[in-house]
Amino acid sequence: MTTLALVGHGSHLNANSSAPVHAHAATLRRRGRFEDVLTGFWKEEPSLSRMLDGCTSADVVVVPVFISNGYFTKTVIPREMRLDGPLTQRDGQRIRYTGPVGADESLAGVIIERALEAGARPEDAIAVLGHGTRRESESERNVYAMAKRVRASGRFAEAGAVFLDQEPGMLDMLEVFRAGTVVVVPLFVADGWHAGQTIPADLSLEGAETRKGGRIVRYTPAVGTHPSLAAVIERLAGSAAE
Amino acid sequence: MTRTVGQLLIEDEAIGVPGAANRTITGTPEAVFAHVRLGDDGRYRPLSGAATLPTGWSAPLGPAFDADIAIETVYPLALTHQRQFAAGTLRVVPLEDVLARQSGRYESSAVLSEEGRARAAGVVCGACVRHPVWNGAACAPEGIPCPEACSVLVAFCREAASWQASPPPPEPPDPRIPWAAFEEPGNELRERYLQEMAEAHD
Repeated sequence: MTTLALVGHGSHLNANSSAPVHAHAATLRRRGRFEDVLTGFWKEEPSLSRMLDGCTSADVVVVPVFISNGYFTKTVIPREMRLDGPLTQRDGQRIRYTGPVGADESLAGVIIERALEAGARPEDAIAVLGHGTRRESESERNVYAMAKRVRASGRFAEAGAVFLDQEPGMLDMLEVFRAGTVVVVPLFVADGWHAGQTIPADLSLEGAETRKGGRIVRYTPAVGTHPSLAAVIERLAGSAAE
Repeated sequence: MTRTVGQLLIEDEAIGVPGAANRTITGTPEAVFAHVRLGDDGRYRPLSGAATLPTGWSAPLGPAFDADIAIETVYPLALTHQRQFAAGTLRVVPLEDVLARQSGRYESSAVLSEEGRARAAGVVCGACVRHPVWNGAACAPEGIPCPEACSVLVAFCREAASWQASPPPPEPPDPRIPWAAFEEPGNELRERYLQEMAEAHD
């Protein structure tokens, strides 16, 4: 059997940051499809560099619980875990490394679930809210790709990408969309510093539903906290490089 | 038989940390993990080995939550590293290698001087129950060996590197400031370091 190694960012300052990774690990342990389910973090323990200490499984699949394929998945995780790429053979152990959960196309289904749970109707707009960055365009492309998949589902009047840290900015979303109700789905792993604190504050949200100038803004929990993310993780692990 | 690992007291039927209170925590990894995330002062504990475990609680042991699972819940990899250290198979990584491989936000940690690294390790590791064998520290069989500098120490080295040229003046420690907010004046570890730095250069 295979050991699943879930890796996350974690935080030195926010205890909630790693909660989704622990929750998904617990779910996957209960399902029993893996020999073991390990967790490791950049900023918590076990660290990325030590999380496989003592792991004797012949086959390990490492799945990054990150939203996009960027600096952490390309540089930090491989370096800290001493991975050679999608496949590492070390001390009789085969370690396969997948893409991040946030870039898996099935995540669009989780975004749609989040929106529907927040009461999204066919006439509403879905704003897929990403962090964005001026350094890493792959992060931006991923948010646009997810918004495109939500739009292609045909379940909502509009769907598009808005960003915390680049254009089109989240503060302008009522100009980006025409629908009377905009459902904002944060494409983040956790309801941590940004999704849980800075974004609701910057958007002057008053809870799950806020009225602004005759329109309604609904704000959902972060995509990464949705229980169905465990199925995305299983799918990624199953499709890991042979 | 009673024994201790770090701050954890392990008895035949329960684990916990003695204290004035006498709270019973559900004997599951999830419940105990959630309980030890915060110290007595309510602050988040990002470093599992920090000597700030909440006190005055115990959790019953049983077949699904035995002493080994409990110890690994509170101190991840502690037993693995104990076994590997005893067998001479523990992969030990020196601090200079850890700092040299950093990039991005933490790349600047590598410019911290030898003196600064030693002081940083003294301050951060001095607040932790693990024994930094990466630094040549001794570790008794019942102790928890630490084979490699953690991310908290790396983050501290980054801040300390920024203080090298022009150290900020020490300020009174403020226990309300998050444990690992090293950039904030009043952070206890920051102030301990700056105080030692000032005394060394007097």
